[in-house]
Amino acid sequence: MSKITLENISYVYSPGTPFEMHALEGINLNIRENAITGLIGHTGSGKSTLVQLLNGLTRPTSGRVLLDGKDIWQEPKKIKQVRFRVGLVMQYPEYQLFEETVRADIAFGPKNMGLSAQEIAERVSEAALLTGLDESLLDHSPFDLSGGQKRRVAIAGVIAMRPEVLVLDEPAAGLDPRGRDTILNMLRDYQQKTGATVMIVSHSMEDMARFCDDIIVLAHGKLVMQGRGHEVFARSRELSDVGLNIPEISRLCLMLRERGIPMDDGIFTVEQAEQCLLRLLESREQRTEGYV
Amino acid sequence: MKSITLGQFYPSDSILHRLDPRMKVILAVLYIVATFLCKNVLSFALLLLSAIVLILISKIPMKLVLGGIKAILFIMAFTALINVFFTKGETPIVEWRFIHIYAEGLWQALFMIVRITVLIVGTSMLLTYTTTPIMLTDALEQLLAPLRVLHIPVHEFAMMMTIALRFIPTLVEETNKIMSAQKARGADFTSGSLISRAKALIPILIPLFVSAFRRADELATAMECRCYHGGAGRTRMTILHYSPKDFVALAVIVVFGAGIIVLNRLGIGYTM
Amino acid sequence: MSQSWIRTENLTYSYQDDSTGEDQPVLHGIDLSIDRGEYIAIIGHNGSGKSTLAKLLNLVLEPTGGAIYVDGKNVSSPDMTDEDVFALRQKVGMVFQNPDNQLVATVVEEDVAFGPENLGVPSAEIRQRVDDALAMVGMTEYAKHEPHRLSGGQKQRVAIAGIIAMMPECMIFDESTAMLDPLGRREVLDTMEMLHREKNITIITITHHMDEAARADRIIVLDDGRILRDGTPEEIFSDPEPLIEAGLDVPQSASLIHRLRKQGIELPGKIGTPDDCLETICAVFEQ
Repeated sequence: MSKITLENISYVYSPGTPFEMHALEGINLNIRENAITGLIGHTGSGKSTLVQLLNGLTRPTSGRVLLDGKDIWQEPKKIKQVRFRVGLVMQYPEYQLFEETVRADIAFGPKNMGLSAQEIAERVSEAALLTGLDESLLDHSPFDLSGGQKRRVAIAGVIAMRPEVLVLDEPAAGLDPRGRDTILNMLRDYQQKTGATVMIVSHSMEDMARFCDDIIVLAHGKLVMQGRGHEVFARSRELSDVGLNIPEISRLCLMLRERGIPMDDGIFTVEQAEQCLLRLLESREQRTEGYV
Repeated sequence: MKSITLGQFYPSDSILHRLDPRMKVILAVLYIVATFLCKNVLSFALLLLSAIVLILISKIPMKLVLGGIKAILFIMAFTALINVFFTKGETPIVEWRFIHIYAEGLWQALFMIVRITVLIVGTSMLLTYTTTPIMLTDALEQLLAPLRVLHIPVHEFAMMMTIALRFIPTLVEETNKIMSAQKARGADFTSGSLISRAKALIPILIPLFVSAFRRADELATAMECRCYHGGAGRTRMTILHYSPKDFVALAVIVVFGAGIIVLNRLGIGYTM
Repeated sequence: MSQSWIRTENLTYSYQDDSTGEDQPVLHGIDLSIDRGEYIAIIGHNGSGKSTLAKLLNLVLEPTGGAIYVDGKNVSSPDMTDEDVFALRQKVGMVFQNPDNQLVATVVEEDVAFGPENLGVPSAEIRQRVDDALAMVGMTEYAKHEPHRLSGGQKQRVAIAGIIAMMPECMIFDESTAMLDPLGRREVLDTMEMLHREKNITIITITHHMDEAARADRIIVLDDGRILRDGTPEEIFSDPEPLIEAGLDVPQSASLIHRLRKQGIELPGKIGTPDDCLETICAVFEQ
């Protein structure tokens, strides 16, 4: 089932001026319910614009954004409700923390929804649990936490609105490998526990290959590919032709093929490469034995 | 996305753009003095003419300049009204109950409007429209350098100005980002009472301050790493040189000032 | 006495915790030797002390114990005058993480001139140095642009030019690629390697991107303020377990070879960069 559908979406910056720029052109895509979708594209591909269309922060120049089949701009006055249903975590979200305590900061979204104090408290605890924040941290100032913890507080602030869709722009940017894995694993657990629809924007193909079910590829404001991870990465060569990075392991496999080693198409994890090479080496041994 | 350009520098290759920025500061000061010397209709006419000439030689579109004046229309109207109603004179035009309007009041109002307009147009033609803020900062630093003898930290002020100019666009961009992020959490900046709107700014201002302090800290470290230690012993890549055209410009404005003084003495019509 | 260009002896650093007032140690006795012209990556998880180490090397931070020698001079000695510190910072330049927060001027070329201006270099020579530095990083056509309109990678290249114009012998990159997109990262890495290759500048890069570290000649792994490993990418990536324990990982290609070796496959070649791994695998098939 498609949770969000984009129908023929275009977005133009400063239309009618010399600075006119087409950020998105004729985008049609589906974001699958109850899955993690990865959005790939280089800077200027229109990713950030697309992300802000999903929760109604910007309105498309033309085309429709459908949430559960309903146009989110049908009643522009109720666009705030859409923002609660589609939670957006922007890049480096820790720079938006402002409250005196972690608890108060996480409560900001639910408060804006007009919920009761009890309901808010419940949601704050739930969000803290889902993001792996210890209860004892909740009364600290968010500014005293480590970088990775701050990031989780910021994500908890959006999760506390119980959005049906959670969109994250570069959730692991600037973190070290352990911090990155913690955040991404946390998001996968969150998706599985809550059944929410999750969308992650990232530059790291390695991370995308490991954590996403579906992949969407944008280039120069146009949709290039969409599909399951293995379908998209099977087209590694096309991806690298449009100037996108592919996972290092996929690149290695492509180079091996060029050198005449018959690696499988569409390898995107180390495990797959290992299995493939073990198989090739084994069959080669049998062959050489045969000759003897 | 609106980009804020402080001083609204308008790139072009006019003679005004090419004058030494220090000379332009001096010219602007002299020009301001000249506007205050004007006393009668002849000198004000010359003043107005000079402003039009400045616009023409600056190659800046008239539309842009007029747009700039529009912003101060309210102040001009206010000044004019005060002058019309509160100037006492000898030739009454309207006398009705407590309202007394004299011809002198009307002249006074007209002169004030011309003076304010020319002040704005003249200084922006000489300075902000034709000089980049950074050139202006450099010029002020060099012109005011003698004040260092009096322990006035001229270099430090200039450096602060430079850094402010450098970071304004960065902070504007950052403000937009923070606003989007808080809007995504349901913040509302456009509805409600004045107090609730002011309160709604807290989630923007606090992150903005925190970030500005972090930036300041990092910038200070980076500057230290590049051996910054104040103005002492510091050289500059660009050294400003006065050229003959700068002195011609100075001569022109001196003649212009003299012209105004002469016209004042002709004593035609109302004199301020 | 070794001939190392940079040498630290039992270098320690700790800071006072604001809330408890206790000393928080960050570095515990670092002994390190770096030769002129080396290309070194320092890796470690956040809080491992890698940025602190970098900041000590050009005295942005002052060591709390031990000594640092640069070019035979004890730069951590209390006799260092301000002039000595400037001389050190001229020799050992530093590029930081956030491209925005290290550019001072509103015009690119003015920013590049900032360092030489502070050093009191004559105007004509500054002009020459600025033009050369911008050409070197490929930013000549942007000389008159405003920094805030540039991409992240371009800003970092301007920051690099600003250091080059001071004519350093060593450059430290303190997570200078962390905030960049893949294109910007490539621009900075290419510039960095060009400086190493063509100008023989000693490069010390601090990163947690393992693929970047793989391109260096030598990797130093820091963990909780101590040197955990010090060796070629070859040596470091052949033994992934300590890295993973230290909160790091191994590039995918190296990890593949390591897994195959564990399965009993003999792969005697090198595994530093993806290209090394390619050759190593091909060698087995070409036997």
